[in-house]
Amino acid sequence: MAEPLLAVTNLETFYGPVMAIRGVSFEVPRGSIVTILGANGAGKTTILKTVSGVMDPQKGTVSFNGREIQGRDPDRVARLGLSHVPEGREVFPFLTVRENLAMGAYTRSDADGVARDMEMVYEYFPVLKSRAEQRAGSLSGGEQQMLSISRALMARPAMMLLDEPSLGLSPRLVKEIFDIIVRINRERGVTVLLVEQNAHMALTIAQFGYVLEVGRIVMEDTCARLLEKEDIKEFYLGVKEAGVRGTRRWKRKKMWR
Amino acid sequence: MSHPDRIWTIHGQDTLPRLFRHVVKERGDAVAMREKHLGIWRAITWREYGERARHVGLGLVALGLQPRDVVSVISDNCPEWLYTDLGTMSVGGVTNGIYTTDSPRQVEYILNDSGTRFFFAENEEQLDKILEVRARCPQLVKIFVYDMEGLHDFHDEQVMPFVVLLELGARYAREHPGALDPLVEIARPHDLAILVYTSGTTGPPKGAMLSHQNIIFQLGYSDFIAEPRPGDQQLSFLPLSHVAERTFTVFFPLRTGATVNFAESIDTVPENIREVGPAVFFAVPRIWEKFYSGVALRMREATPIGKLAYRWAIGIGTQMAERRIAGRTPSLFLRLLYRVADFFVLDNVKRSLGLHRTRGAATGAAPIAPELIKWYMALGIDMREVYGQTENCGLATAMPPGRIKLGTVGVRRPDTEVALSPAGEILLKGPHVFLGYYKNPDRTAETVVDGWLRTGDVGEIDGDGFVRVTDRMKDIIITAGGKNVTPSEIENQLKFSPYITDAVVIGDQRKFLSCLIMLDPDTVAQFAQERNVPFTNFASLCRAREIQDLIWSEIERVNKQVARVEGIKRFHLIEQILTPEDEELTPTMKLKRSYVNRKYKDVIDGMYAGA
Repeated sequence: MAEPLLAVTNLETFYGPVMAIRGVSFEVPRGSIVTILGANGAGKTTILKTVSGVMDPQKGTVSFNGREIQGRDPDRVARLGLSHVPEGREVFPFLTVRENLAMGAYTRSDADGVARDMEMVYEYFPVLKSRAEQRAGSLSGGEQQMLSISRALMARPAMMLLDEPSLGLSPRLVKEIFDIIVRINRERGVTVLLVEQNAHMALTIAQFGYVLEVGRIVMEDTCARLLEKEDIKEFYLGVKEAGVRGTRRWKRKKMWR
Repeated sequence: MSHPDRIWTIHGQDTLPRLFRHVVKERGDAVAMREKHLGIWRAITWREYGERARHVGLGLVALGLQPRDVVSVISDNCPEWLYTDLGTMSVGGVTNGIYTTDSPRQVEYILNDSGTRFFFAENEEQLDKILEVRARCPQLVKIFVYDMEGLHDFHDEQVMPFVVLLELGARYAREHPGALDPLVEIARPHDLAILVYTSGTTGPPKGAMLSHQNIIFQLGYSDFIAEPRPGDQQLSFLPLSHVAERTFTVFFPLRTGATVNFAESIDTVPENIREVGPAVFFAVPRIWEKFYSGVALRMREATPIGKLAYRWAIGIGTQMAERRIAGRTPSLFLRLLYRVADFFVLDNVKRSLGLHRTRGAATGAAPIAPELIKWYMALGIDMREVYGQTENCGLATAMPPGRIKLGTVGVRRPDTEVALSPAGEILLKGPHVFLGYYKNPDRTAETVVDGWLRTGDVGEIDGDGFVRVTDRMKDIIITAGGKNVTPSEIENQLKFSPYITDAVVIGDQRKFLSCLIMLDPDTVAQFAQERNVPFTNFASLCRAREIQDLIWSEIERVNKQVARVEGIKRFHLIEQILTPEDEELTPTMKLKRSYVNRKYKDVIDGMYAGA
């Protein structure tokens, strides 16, 4: 098998005395979409932050493109081609859409290429073009999410870390954004590590998935197989047998197998 | 020796209903039990205990309970379980506990085998099991539910909330003053009191019948762990459907007056022990092993000074323990050193475990490594191994306080007999031997022969009367080379490793020994983390080369210790985290040998292929 683009081994990350990531290893093959599922507080965001350099791990290695990058500053990680799209669409509210996109390309000096890429993201998200001169703070939630993905794309990354792109969006918008994530992956060859609570969407577009519970991976498999697992169905997809009374409130024990 | 006609009594009472009535009157507003409600321990007095049990009993009578009717309970440990237990017996009924991990199919089998007429379910989850199978349980009259959360919109002719039953009982008591006393007198000393279904590893479970006298007799020995004192606390967390926990939680306090505290759940046991500070503590080896691995791992992460201090203190404690085992008095100097070690180190270890107030501890229901007992003795905890089974109401032998022989299960309980059959099987006789299996005279006749209970265990008895249990008779392995191997001896040594939760040794009719191993997921994951061994889920952890090497080194350590028998040549790690719901485990989390042998047949054959 070819060397994975991103390989994380034995990662441990703390918030003060609290161990948020308790020894996690996973791989993201080049050109693929891999998802990490998990409930609130499982440590998904912490993993992304540790990979992108926002947080330093206590232990373990993060290797990107064959190079160890753990503990490096986020801007240096970004220059290596790893773009982090944080949760909660953190756009620059007082800059215009165009200015926001330009910020995404600040590491680049090829003005022509930047202009071309700007056209490319306008093509992915036409609504951004019509709002190009508007302040980002006045955009809707979905448009802001599109903008933060686009801004990340402007750096021409080899890989994108997407933190809950579906958060707070209407089902129609979620579908739209996920479709475009798939297109970016296919057309631009951008590798994607996707962290999601919307398990159904994530499992549909990704090839491989990991399930994270309180800082540890409890399950890994291809998404097609994960979709068939009883525990995934009950705890992530909300499908459960109705039981004898037609309404069942209690939960099965999680077994992860 | 026992007198067949002798009637045993506790506080002058010869049946459980009489004893219960007596102690409720005596103890009044003393605290009988505590349970945590929204994070706060809430006390229940003996008066309240007595009243609620009475209302359960009279409520059942109002609904048509007849003497000797069987009442089944499927619930985790809680006060309601105890109200139901003594309430049922107080009106002449028989109580039977079912494991909460049992499947609907198993519940159906036990209900029909026992002819259960009244059924108590803890909550919605347990209720669903009975609703699924009740159509095939024609004798079932009524179902009661302790916790109605999530069921307020549920209405069913046959299902009644527990509180409604209590109201029904209270009304019956008002309308029929003095109704209870004659009902309490129904049960005769040798009558059936409770049914305990034994989790058969082969064939369906059988209902062991225990009489009031069986239980009252065993209560007479309840102080063997430690002399009871006022204000003693106990913690209840093992399944009440098991005879040991039932005796410890429900019956012991009738004699001792200790307060029973219910653990919130099995996961909170470590915290709950620290809160409660139990005076006496009974647990199965698995729990004792877990405590020990916790300390062992914490010590590995301790500072160099901490490690040194621990090693020194445990060394002193071990010397003390060894003197005690040898029956010698330790020198004044050693005792002084021990005081220092206890003050600075050992007491802290005991505090961290919540065992600092523990005057007596007991282990039983499964074999335990002698080294583990020694470690607890080194800590200064008076740990005694007991041996027995459901069919003799829990206790047949126990380590006497004065004299200790590690590796044995102690001496016979006074007023009973222990003997060996010509084949080496341990036989028991005395007032603790049960009445037989419910509606199963054939199995009863096979098990009790001329008053002797056949335990199915092979063992030895030495000149001082100490009993050594070698193994289950049917588990003894005879290798293809004709060597006799007792697997449990090897398995216990393996389980002493902090990384191994349970093991099953294989080798009957085979060229060499092999074993299946169930890892402790927490300690092994920690080991992997410390050494940067990458893994994702449990299966990949099991397959990691370093983990395979780790387990192999543990096996080699054991192989050296049991050098006189054959060593283990191959092993296989079970790549799933097993829970009590899995068929591989008994409710007390032991691997079922025969089931595991069948389920992992391919893996086992693989270990012998090409060898």
